[in-house]
Amino acid sequence: MLIEALIAVTLVSAFVVMLAPDEVAGKLAFALSLLPVAGSLWMFGQFDASGNALFESGNLAFETTARWISVGPYALNWHVGLDGISMPLVVLSTLLTSLAIVSAWTPIQERQSQFYSLMLFMLASLLGVFTALDFFVWFVFWEFVLVPMYFLIGIWGGPRRKYAAIKFFVYTNVASLVMFIGFVALVFALPVQTMDLPAIAAALDAGNFQTTYGLGAETLKVVAFFAMFLGFAVKVPLVPMHTWLPDAHVQAPTPASVMLAGVLLKMGTYALLRFNFTMLPGVARDYAVLIAIFAVVSVIYGAMLALAQQDLKRIVAYSSVSSMGYVILGLVAYNVYGLGGATFQMVAHGLISGLMFMCVGVIYNVAHTRMVGDLSGIADKMPVTAAVFVAAAFGYMGLPLMAGFAGELFIFLGGFSATFPYAQLFTALAMFGIVVVAGYLLFAMQRVLFGPFSADTDYDIVPAAPHDAAAIVVLVLLVVVLGTVPEVFYGMIQDAVNPMVDSLPEATAFLTGGEL
Amino acid sequence: MVGAFDFTPAIPLLPFAAFLVAMLVGHFAPRLLPKGGAIPGILATAGSLLLSIWTFLTVSGGSYHAQDIYTWVVGQNTFSLHFGILVDPLSAMMLVIVSLVAVLVHVFSLGYMNDEGETGLPRYYAGLGLFTFSMLAFVVADNLLMAFMFFELVGLCSYLLIGFHFREPGPPSAAKKAFLVTRFGDYFFLIGVVGILATFGTARFVAVGDGVHSFPHLAEQALAAAGGEGTMPEHVAHFLDVIGMNAETWFAILGLLVLGGVVGKSAQFPLHTWLPDAMEGPTPVSALIHAATMVAAGVYLVARMYGFYALLPTVLAIIALVGGFTALFAASMGVVKDELKQVLAYSTISQYGYMMLGLGTGGYIAATFHLMTHAFFKALLFLGAGSVIIAMHHNEDMWDMGGLREKMPVTYYTFLSGSLALAGIVPFSGFWSKDEILYEALIYGAGDSPILLAAYAMGLLAVFFTGFYTFRMVFLTFHGEPRSDTARDPHGVRWNVKLPLVVLGILAATVGLVNMTPVAELTGLHIEYLHQWLVIPEASDFAALGYDNYHHLLEQFAGYHAADIGPLAPGAVSLALALGGAGLAWVLYNVDSPTEHTEKLGGVKTVLYNNYYQDEYQVWLAQGVTLPLARAADTFDQGIVDGVVNGVSSVSLFAGSRVKRIQDGLVTHYAALLTLGLVVLLVAFGLLEGWF
Repeated sequence: MLIEALIAVTLVSAFVVMLAPDEVAGKLAFALSLLPVAGSLWMFGQFDASGNALFESGNLAFETTARWISVGPYALNWHVGLDGISMPLVVLSTLLTSLAIVSAWTPIQERQSQFYSLMLFMLASLLGVFTALDFFVWFVFWEFVLVPMYFLIGIWGGPRRKYAAIKFFVYTNVASLVMFIGFVALVFALPVQTMDLPAIAAALDAGNFQTTYGLGAETLKVVAFFAMFLGFAVKVPLVPMHTWLPDAHVQAPTPASVMLAGVLLKMGTYALLRFNFTMLPGVARDYAVLIAIFAVVSVIYGAMLALAQQDLKRIVAYSSVSSMGYVILGLVAYNVYGLGGATFQMVAHGLISGLMFMCVGVIYNVAHTRMVGDLSGIADKMPVTAAVFVAAAFGYMGLPLMAGFAGELFIFLGGFSATFPYAQLFTALAMFGIVVVAGYLLFAMQRVLFGPFSADTDYDIVPAAPHDAAAIVVLVLLVVVLGTVPEVFYGMIQDAVNPMVDSLPEATAFLTGGEL
Repeated sequence: MVGAFDFTPAIPLLPFAAFLVAMLVGHFAPRLLPKGGAIPGILATAGSLLLSIWTFLTVSGGSYHAQDIYTWVVGQNTFSLHFGILVDPLSAMMLVIVSLVAVLVHVFSLGYMNDEGETGLPRYYAGLGLFTFSMLAFVVADNLLMAFMFFELVGLCSYLLIGFHFREPGPPSAAKKAFLVTRFGDYFFLIGVVGILATFGTARFVAVGDGVHSFPHLAEQALAAAGGEGTMPEHVAHFLDVIGMNAETWFAILGLLVLGGVVGKSAQFPLHTWLPDAMEGPTPVSALIHAATMVAAGVYLVARMYGFYALLPTVLAIIALVGGFTALFAASMGVVKDELKQVLAYSTISQYGYMMLGLGTGGYIAATFHLMTHAFFKALLFLGAGSVIIAMHHNEDMWDMGGLREKMPVTYYTFLSGSLALAGIVPFSGFWSKDEILYEALIYGAGDSPILLAAYAMGLLAVFFTGFYTFRMVFLTFHGEPRSDTARDPHGVRWNVKLPLVVLGILAATVGLVNMTPVAELTGLHIEYLHQWLVIPEASDFAALGYDNYHHLLEQFAGYHAADIGPLAPGAVSLALALGGAGLAWVLYNVDSPTEHTEKLGGVKTVLYNNYYQDEYQVWLAQGVTLPLARAADTFDQGIVDGVVNGVSSVSLFAGSRVKRIQDGLVTHYAALLTLGLVVLLVAFGLLEGWF
């Protein structure tokens, strides 16, 4: 019942904050957000799952099943639980929400209780997304995440907030529809009487289709795979379905950007991992080259777009497109380092991109501009912010002993030992992203942080507020800890992806385990 | 029993502690930080030096050490990744060099930074501490991945220190360039690391103990198996099968990829352009970067995994050519520079070229020897230059100097010692090591490897240039009449500047005596101590890292055979060239009022002044090609990709607004539409079902 308690506490907190007066809403929301943080950390300490949630061999932690409703022959059950893939993402969600709430204290000055309440609603739905194991329950949470984000962008956003919010909502919603149709069509073709994801995965593995709509079982699988792929790829986002992202990020207030880049994008890769790559590994294998091309294009094209930007927030937004491409590359590699690295990178990128957005937000809070050309040499005036910005930027570039390096390295190792055609070439091409990312972040730092001081703004450049500085320092320390001791999460991640790897033995170039 | 090896991890960790102290105390309680962090730094690096010496003595007793310290990733059904330390003659020697130079640089910084009233000292000393930590950890790394990780941290530290004066426009730009250019090399290096792990399942340099393997040894087995001896390791065979290449080609590709990182960090052509710009950093940092840390890291890495490179004749030949070419290329640019540190910068590039030449031509000992001697004399020259810069009130133009010999004798004589070593004049250290590199290149080149002979020729020609630019620098700075007011009345320097100079001055003069190959040949005495030091007995677990093994591999796999040429005549030739260059400088510049002679070079001068336009084309690649490409991608993205998205929404809205008109609320219109629909349906079904 811990998962239910976690979600319930978050929901209750959301209602409490909504009713609280504006003056105390921020502090109260932060204090209440520490409850889910403590809860998720406690669960992390007690975590005893083994294997993968969607495999019969898997042993879940904190699992509960309860009959809910029946729709026709289909039983829709409340089924939640955690395995080594979802546990780190739950911890990431709670931690990042707390820090994002702190980062809202300075910029959010209107309708505060509603703002913080929406943040907590979003966390509650995110926790549902990462824990649900019944398709219907999962889908409800999946869709519900969009609602708070829509309002966060639409109410507290920048000048073009309406356009950005609607674009975000409609784009991802249409994509969800395509995904929904694809998945449900697949389920209806199987001899199952439930929307339970492990049962569906088992049925797919057994491969007994009742009907295939006159398509042939393999064709149906491919069609369903790509319908889902399209739906999730918008969320990730993969090029060319990425254009909602920069608009949403630029218009969103800093805390919403933190959540969007830090956690919401991971919903896409998490769903790809859970649905496409766990349930239909054969299709993923057959179309590995095509998916790898999407991944490589996202990495390089996203990085090139970041290079062309003048707005710090747009730079970070496009670089997310680039980083999420790595995750797709890891998934398609389909070995322990690839799948594990992809999962690890979700957490690592969640922390680092959240950190980057918070750093940009801190500068914006003070300077009220984010344009590279407007600012120069502000390190002199904001030393702590500048130091963390440098650390965060190097983290983003994949500096060893920071989390991003670990995630990227695992993915590269996975990609290089994958066996689909030209896997090594694709990996090497995608790796060029580490040069481009260094290019645009170094240029941005040189212009904004260093050189003679000047600021084309009406505001005084003063050191960041203590809580702003504290939040980014805490986050940068988390990034270092995770990069130095990746085993914190990577052990359980590997344990959870290994059953997947075993289900597709031809995908890995390695025959034996241990240090060879 | 507690031995030196129990404390080896403390060698890098002490400077790391100094970094933490300087950073944290410097931020929260700067007044409590003695000398802005210099004292903790000096204590820590001195501690590292003492422990390094202890380690060195233990190694000289014939015991070596390999130990896994920390498993970073425990692979489940795949290979693990770990940190470990490896203490063998090479790393023990390097530990002493790095920690010694680090201590001296810290002491010198008291004079260069503290006494000159610089601000931001805690940040400076924190950077130095982190830099020393990263380099020492890189040196003791027992596997290629760990080496890569600290290699990258070294890059970060150089970024932070080159850009130390971040309020000025120049240093941040130079720092960015240094990181970006070396990152470009590291891109290839990282592919190489990943490739080696994927191919061999391990990145260890040496296999000590049961159940572990090392990639050089696995590569050796695989190549031997390809040649028909023994069996290929199973997973290597499987991987080669996956990528569809033979062992020789694939290993050569891996070797070249790792070499990318070496070329970047060791500033070899064509990735050398960051190094002269890096002179924007404070001078003690330049000494550290060029003598013992960042630039040395590249060459050290090749030596560290020489067991792998010795298997690959193609890669060796490329290393030799790159090295020989860089030696000559950089030396030619050093000839026309006006600023003291610029001359030294190009000499650094050139000298590391020699080391690469030595490694490529099979001269493992010679290259290692030069790495050591160069560390001392280049640190000396940079610190000497720093002393001159203090005296000249931070004016670096040699044409404003002159006559400093009388005013600063300690600096002059120590600088002279370093210059004689750099130019390769007997018996100063640089002569012995450079001569040995050229000798090895000659004998292996003459043993039917014409490519190596070409590399040798370039290296030999560079000796003349080296002698010339070195003494041009000495004469312009110290001899003749003072050419400016500051040179007539220079600022004095204190003990904290002179002490490091004296220590290094003595070392630069004498350290070459540890491996006097020509003298050993002539007298028959066994005085090639470095050679003996780098030989590891065959019975040892570490024999794979010994010179005998490398020699054997070079013969068996690379087909290197030495021609029977004595060391005396080649040594005499290179000495004569060095003296010739120095003599020309004497004639032209050792006069009371020297004038610029560069005009006599004509058009060549412009090319040299502009560094063969290397910077221009790289800047063009970044700003003239990549940036417009990025902007074009952005336009494409905004216009086409996002245009389609907005187009879809516009079409939907437009269609919706038009379709909306049908619902006008008039019942007759609805009735007409209903009838029309029925007719259309009837006709359609009729056609399909064949009613007509």
